[in-house]
Amino acid sequence: MGIVELENVRKIYPLGKVQVEAVKGVSFCIEKGDFISIAGPSGSGKTTILNMVGLVDQPTEGEVYLDGKPTSKLNDAELTRLRHETLGFIFQSFNLIPVLNVWENIEFPLLLGKTRVGKDEKKDWIDHLIEEVGLSEWRKHKPNELSGGQRQRVAIARALVTRPQIVLADEPTANLDSATGEQILELMKKINRELETTFIFSTHDARIVDIADHIIRLRDGLVTENRRREEEAPAACQGAEA
Amino acid sequence: MNTLANIALRNLTRQKKRTVLLGSAIAFGVMIVTLINGFAGAFSANVAENFSDLMAGHVFVSGSEKGEGDKTLSVIRDDSALTAAVEASGAPVRYVTRRSSFAGTLIFEGKKLQTNVDGADLSQETFLRDRLLLKEGSWDSMSDENALILSEKIASRLNVDVGDLILVQLETVTGQANVGEFRLAGVSYDAGIFGQMMSYANLGYVNSLIGLAPDEYQTMGIMLDGLKHTDAAAEAIYGRLYGGVQLFERGVKDEDGAVTPFQALMRQQKKESWEGVKYRLFTINEVLSQIEQIVAALDTTAGVILVVLFVIIMVGITNTFSMVMFERIGEIGTMRALGVHRGGVRSMFLYEALFLALGGAVAGIALALVAMGVISLFDFGMDSPAFIIMRNGHLSFFLPPLRAAANVLIIALLTLVAVASPAGKAAKLTPAEALRTQK
Repeated sequence: MGIVELENVRKIYPLGKVQVEAVKGVSFCIEKGDFISIAGPSGSGKTTILNMVGLVDQPTEGEVYLDGKPTSKLNDAELTRLRHETLGFIFQSFNLIPVLNVWENIEFPLLLGKTRVGKDEKKDWIDHLIEEVGLSEWRKHKPNELSGGQRQRVAIARALVTRPQIVLADEPTANLDSATGEQILELMKKINRELETTFIFSTHDARIVDIADHIIRLRDGLVTENRRREEEAPAACQGAEA
Repeated sequence: MNTLANIALRNLTRQKKRTVLLGSAIAFGVMIVTLINGFAGAFSANVAENFSDLMAGHVFVSGSEKGEGDKTLSVIRDDSALTAAVEASGAPVRYVTRRSSFAGTLIFEGKKLQTNVDGADLSQETFLRDRLLLKEGSWDSMSDENALILSEKIASRLNVDVGDLILVQLETVTGQANVGEFRLAGVSYDAGIFGQMMSYANLGYVNSLIGLAPDEYQTMGIMLDGLKHTDAAAEAIYGRLYGGVQLFERGVKDEDGAVTPFQALMRQQKKESWEGVKYRLFTINEVLSQIEQIVAALDTTAGVILVVLFVIIMVGITNTFSMVMFERIGEIGTMRALGVHRGGVRSMFLYEALFLALGGAVAGIALALVAMGVISLFDFGMDSPAFIIMRNGHLSFFLPPLRAAANVLIIALLTLVAVASPAGKAAKLTPAEALRTQK
């Protein structure tokens, strides 16, 4: 079993009096340390799947396994704890906390859990992340004093600060110009290699699809393609059937 | 500092205009209530101090003597035991006064009016001149034996002018009908509802009218260094008198419906029998204990105003925080995704409301203190109709610290109640819902 596995997942939203089926029975498996692209046109169900993998939303049917453990029976507090301990998030609109500066935004997730990190260790780790994302000069700046690319770098550092196993990035380059988007992708790929963090993207950016180890394509809530870059056959986790 | 509390505090600075407006509304409400509390706090002390001057004492001793046919005469014929007890008590006594009084009917050109007349030794009670300002006439005219000073209201109702002769019908201490004649020496500025109590004449003349000898009197007034010494001094003097003279018991409870401890004391003598003279000791606080009811009424009014103002302000706070919740829905989603629990989101909104309430309340109290300082600078003069509630012609305030703390607590609680609903809604949002709804 991989680090993430979806088993016949369906998601139905009520939209007024109508029920909209955003995801129509999706199954796939993701290996630890992979750089995964979930691609597809708007409305194909990318963000919905990413939300369910990120435990911010629950499937209507089916099961999401994280590190081999089912998540559908977990209550809100357990899901919150699991999100905090296992997952990092990068959003299309950066979603930084406006009243906190760069350093504080990155520090924020570390202040939430029950596990307390030593003051010096925390400082060294945050400083290292700030250096990695190239914002050493900007650590005291508030989000509204930064460019889009700089904000997304802060979001990347924040997503990594808890040393999560998985980072989920929802269209991380959509609000950036192409040069900045390129830099951000390189940065994430570098972190993926160095820290072996699993990155899962929802995107329709061809550049992400090009560098992904594992590509999942969606259309109308269904998987149309699921393959690892080096294989022609459908991707499957070790010990699982494709 | 708790991270979420820190964010809540910083969130207040995001919409400065909105924060200032809400904070100002809270501050205004607190200021009004604090001013009323401050006024009520000084009210009873001011009234008691002013009455102490008008009644010439903080602690009083009066005598009741059994006469022929078991009649009770109000008289002190020999005060040597009383004077000795006062001296031995160690109470901080400024001076001792002696007064007689009667309730009689003043008659002038066919007009009649019931009033109390106090007989005082005005050569000794110079402080009365400072406290009671004359609108017409002069204190010098009080050297005439039958001189009388009336308040503006009584003089007007009798239609008398300075120099007029006023007939008086009264009863002596033994119950005999008597008449006398006063010459109006002065008209004092009216003290509002207390105007009826302020008619003064010479002690010697009042004694002659009520059938007492020149060196006799009815009530000894003991003026202390301040109102605060009253109860302790009364206990000390009572202790010294106890055993030496016959004394009515202090602090008796009356089951016949007496409103004040003083009334209860007066009723007590009707139930008891004794021979010779029996003394009663009472204080200005007991005489004016109804003032406490006025203070309680003022505090209740302040409380009602506080609640009414805050119900209005609470509606504003609830609406504003509902708006704030929608503005920050993306942040709520982000925080929830990053690992903030539902309780954390709720706490963040409640912290923000609490800081707003505390800031507004502290500002309101500070403003009220400044307003009190400024208002108390105005000299309304001793001729003000409201002089009885003032200190030397100035409105004064005393804000009991516990009352101020209670107001802050009430406001904090009401604000938290006002924000509870939007905070609860924010906490109930699922992260996906919040992230989907963000702008």
